[in-house]
Amino acid sequence: MASTTTDTTTQWWAGIDDDLSRLPAKPEFTHDALRSSEHFDMYRVRMTSVDNYVIAAWLNIPKGEGPFPAVMYTPTHMSVVTPAPYEFRMRAVTMNVISRGQRGADKPYAAAFPGHLTVDIEDPQRYVQRGVVADTIRAWEVLRDHPKVDPDRMAMIGNDLALLVDERRPGAKAIHVTGSFWYRLPEIAAKTDMYPFEEINDYLRWRPEAKDAVLRTLSLLDPVHQADRIRANVLFHRDQDSPVLDDEWFAPLVGRMQVTPSYLDMTHQGQVDYDAVDAWLSNQIVMEPFPRSWTPEDIGPWSV
Amino acid sequence: MTVRGRPEHFVSSVTKPDDFDDFWEEVEAGLDAQPFEPELRHIPERSTPEVDVYELHYVSLDGLRIAAWYCRPKPEYLQPPYPGLAVFPGYVSEPTLPKSWAKLGYSAIGAAPRGKLRSNSQYNPGYPGLLVDRITDKNTYAYRGFYADALRVIDVLQALPEVDASRIGVFGGSQGGALSLVTSALRADVVKCAAVSAPYLTGFMDSAALTRSYPYEEINEYLRLYPEREAQVRETVSYFDCLNLAPKITAPMLLYIGLADDICPPETAYALRERLTGDCILHAYEGAGHEAGVYWEMPKVEAFLAEHLQPRTPSKVDTDIPEEW
Repeated sequence: MASTTTDTTTQWWAGIDDDLSRLPAKPEFTHDALRSSEHFDMYRVRMTSVDNYVIAAWLNIPKGEGPFPAVMYTPTHMSVVTPAPYEFRMRAVTMNVISRGQRGADKPYAAAFPGHLTVDIEDPQRYVQRGVVADTIRAWEVLRDHPKVDPDRMAMIGNDLALLVDERRPGAKAIHVTGSFWYRLPEIAAKTDMYPFEEINDYLRWRPEAKDAVLRTLSLLDPVHQADRIRANVLFHRDQDSPVLDDEWFAPLVGRMQVTPSYLDMTHQGQVDYDAVDAWLSNQIVMEPFPRSWTPEDIGPWSV
Repeated sequence: MTVRGRPEHFVSSVTKPDDFDDFWEEVEAGLDAQPFEPELRHIPERSTPEVDVYELHYVSLDGLRIAAWYCRPKPEYLQPPYPGLAVFPGYVSEPTLPKSWAKLGYSAIGAAPRGKLRSNSQYNPGYPGLLVDRITDKNTYAYRGFYADALRVIDVLQALPEVDASRIGVFGGSQGGALSLVTSALRADVVKCAAVSAPYLTGFMDSAALTRSYPYEEINEYLRLYPEREAQVRETVSYFDCLNLAPKITAPMLLYIGLADDICPPETAYALRERLTGDCILHAYEGAGHEAGVYWEMPKVEAFLAEHLQPRTPSKVDTDIPEEW
């Protein structure tokens, strides 16, 4: 497998840091009355990222003095970004990042799905996902600096893009990694025909001669290379029956981490797993757990 | 809400407007008046040795041009005719390329109703936003056109020469489940089976009262800001509620839900089952949320669709491919 040298990886990431440092974020906060409630206020945020690109976010602040624990949801690989679950918004400052190409930050670049994973993938400097990781780091900086946020109680939720942010901007208390994306991405693609990973398969079927260039670019974004920089407590989903969620899969990454991660052994009962994550995260950033499961009562016919 | 009873004992508040059927006849008349002019463009870079991928466009209600993905087996992999399968998207997800279904022997359309990417140049309500867009008038409500776009998918499938129009099914979860219900109800003579998970748009107002999760939270937000419009909202959504469409459905259905689903409350799925007149297999998963037990259910979905739609399998491939294909 083609991969990058340590020096190349270091330089590429240093370039992102340099680009970000040259551009002030200039965040603007606009109150959104429609999406506010008696429990919180919602703001639409606009801020500047690399390439002078204006990205966005949903920022939700609980009513009260604060400072509050904070949770940043890193961008998913889809067009739509919605605010965090209500139960989180009641307890913590939440930020849902809208990176370049996603709805809300789709001017001048409107990402295609599929397509967003491979735009300029053969050129690491122009690769669209370079901008996406920079956008996520930029959003983390803005959240960290917000006066309502307790910087000692910050967390991230998302795929392993959150690990990349922590590698570049340590400070999170906890990270809940919902799944592998950049970690060993070519290997995931080789195991599936599901999008977005299938985008890589499509690309290499169409341009097989670009394979080395593609793998080199993707290697730059693999969190394994800088895993020794991770400082947050990390929760991974684990399933010993899955080739991309078992101990063997995580071994190279965990082997380089200086912190021992925690694991959620998945039950595949979504709400049970959700409540377990909520309990873990609440403990990490010191807030009251808020399980969403409920036990029905035997009260006969009922209505609302 | 302080007490939540057993989901199968839930009594829905949804009532059917007197002119419900007239309303949908009018929508259908609008569709009939609009030729759908389907266009297919082959996408070789997303095709595989087994599956051809196409970008599909068609015209829908009010003249909007709608996009979709169309995937079918390559004839050298599997000979036509194929059963047709409509795969409908969730609320926030983008339409899938149904390549895996084509590999299983289906001619499959991944629909992108208005507002979804590639179908949003003429109509773009934003997300969140779609659920409450123009919600105080049934004739301009967002889902009027959205449902029509889904119906057109069935019409397009019927018209494709390689599709056996007597074997058309629908599949989807959440909003995709709702659109599967809508098309099963309003194309009851065409749709032969439906696999539906965690159906959305089923008991709109009940659901909004039972959850604070998006998308139904959009209704709560809207009514927090405009409480005086509650009656108008309730009236509009009653025309689009799958509980009111359910009695029209005759196709056999596989319905699977999570009993701890905080997005589409399981109570509404039980209310749906009560109003169905055709066969319905219900699988309810303890502890499951909006994913509705998909980890265990997907093989059952594939078996259910295969039982009713009878796709050929690659092992039965005829090597003698007609020249005209």
